[in-house]
Amino acid sequence: MNKWVVISLGNRFRGDDSVGPYILNRLRDQVGHMAECIENGGDIGQLLDDWKQRCVCLVDAVMDQGGRVGDIVRIDGLSEDLPQNLSTTSSHGLSLVEAIELGKTLDALPHHLAIYAICGENFAISAGLSPAVKAAATTVEQEIVELLNRQEANNARAIPDPKPGR
Amino acid sequence: MTRTKTVKVDYLARVEGEGALYIRYDDRGVHDVKLKIFEPPRFFEGFMRGRDYLEAPDITARICGICPVAYQMSSVHAMEHALGVTVTPELRALRRLLYCGEWIESHSLHICMLHAPDFLGYPSAVAMAKDHGKIVQDGLQIKKAGNAIVNLLGGREVHPINVRVGGFYRVPTVAELNPLREPLLRGRDMAMDLVRWAASLPFPKFERDMSHQYEFVALSHPCEYPMSEGRIVSTRGLDIPVSEYDQHFREEQVEYSSALHSALIERGAYFVGPMARYNINYAQLSPLVKETAEDIGFPPFCANPFQSIVVRCLEVLFAFDEALRIIDSYRVPQKPYVETARKSATGYGATEAPRGLLFHRYSIDDAGKITDAKIVAPTSQNQKTIEHDLRLMLPKFFHLPEAQLQAQCEQAIRNYDPCISCSTHFLRLDLRHSERSQP
Repeated sequence: MNKWVVISLGNRFRGDDSVGPYILNRLRDQVGHMAECIENGGDIGQLLDDWKQRCVCLVDAVMDQGGRVGDIVRIDGLSEDLPQNLSTTSSHGLSLVEAIELGKTLDALPHHLAIYAICGENFAISAGLSPAVKAAATTVEQEIVELLNRQEANNARAIPDPKPGR
Repeated sequence: MTRTKTVKVDYLARVEGEGALYIRYDDRGVHDVKLKIFEPPRFFEGFMRGRDYLEAPDITARICGICPVAYQMSSVHAMEHALGVTVTPELRALRRLLYCGEWIESHSLHICMLHAPDFLGYPSAVAMAKDHGKIVQDGLQIKKAGNAIVNLLGGREVHPINVRVGGFYRVPTVAELNPLREPLLRGRDMAMDLVRWAASLPFPKFERDMSHQYEFVALSHPCEYPMSEGRIVSTRGLDIPVSEYDQHFREEQVEYSSALHSALIERGAYFVGPMARYNINYAQLSPLVKETAEDIGFPPFCANPFQSIVVRCLEVLFAFDEALRIIDSYRVPQKPYVETARKSATGYGATEAPRGLLFHRYSIDDAGKITDAKIVAPTSQNQKTIEHDLRLMLPKFFHLPEAQLQAQCEQAIRNYDPCISCSTHFLRLDLRHSERSQP
């Protein structure tokens, strides 16, 4: 099993919410030899299995963070507070914040959790990505490739960067 | 002097969708109970008109992220009934296996993450995990085994895409199915533990008296515990083919809910879901499940809705057992689906969603376009019974402090694992109702 994993959240059929799967698809060929790529369709509980004791880049869309469309919110998921509305996909499921909380309790946290959240504007079905979100996706894609290349160069013993590149 | 009190929960937690609860009561009794469903209607039945009959399973799967397989199964059965098609035994077995996956997923989520905190006094599963980590961990592992089935047969875990009228788009090989065995065996062991744990929970004492007995309604099949096929049977003598559903059940609008209330035309409220299935079909459970129920001293007929958590655990155990049986006897179907030909017809389908009976009716024209659709979700059918439960239950708990009383009411609602998103649909909108004063 690869130490590194890239996980996308979001619904690939709902406009800007599809930015996570979009980035993941573009990354598969570039980083597939360095990291596993997992598309999570909304089962947040599954994250605990997928990320336990691994190093994770998690990509998702976010609404209404007070930023402009296409802004990238970079968060160290293990040391910074997360917005409560990040990946609240269902009232019958867990939010990302709860998944992290549960991970702490069940000793199922990743070693490193770099969250890249891109501010979207249109989450309508079949809407496609907004231009600003698409541009941001390219930036995030490059940052993840660089991060993984650095890790590869530093070899498996290297201590992960505390935060994704800014 | 009698002082009127209210229990008001503006937003019900740990149920799917958006609903609220309003109860007005005083020392003399309960005067008003309203389970308010304010999630907007979703008009699925309306926008299915004009769509091709082959699209029904994929469109209706979108009604619910928790039980999409149920919607797919009811829709394909209704379409096949309309077109006079019967699938092969091999395809039928695969459908049943897929349904096992969904029961495992949905029940384990409800048992361990949503309902268990009520019994143990925690506000959420996250809080409960600090003291009962194993239950949450096992719940997630059990759900994962269900996910694996749905993923393999459905093409993905949420909103599967491989179901079609007449069968599947693609069927698995024996070699693809076999890797499910090990996780299912492990899951079955965990399910056994879960049954025993659930049976040890403290259950509020609540059973209805003789004059308010439940009428349980579920599918019943002569050879198997019901999932996708059977007659609609009740504990008060109803025994009809699915095609006669409309003659015995009606839907009615209430002003405070965007979900229609279902009722038996002759007798009113009824009860669908795991307890109804269990009470009507206990004899069809596998020997392992019946032995386990006997071991824990759980009776073949359960009338306390708070014990529905044990029944759900027994159904999880059954779903594992059944899934393993199907995998062990699997023969690859010669064709992934049976061809269907377009014709003008009306068809009826009812299957057992995790939360209970899910009825679909479609009319299609010569070109195969849907001209009419009716979908009745389990939560719509249970709403009246939930309200009656609260009305009857509350006087027994008047002695409790108000916060505890409110928690007890919420727990009573979660006995039914309501899926509010599924239940919201309108047939008709009467704007005069909106002018009435609200409590």
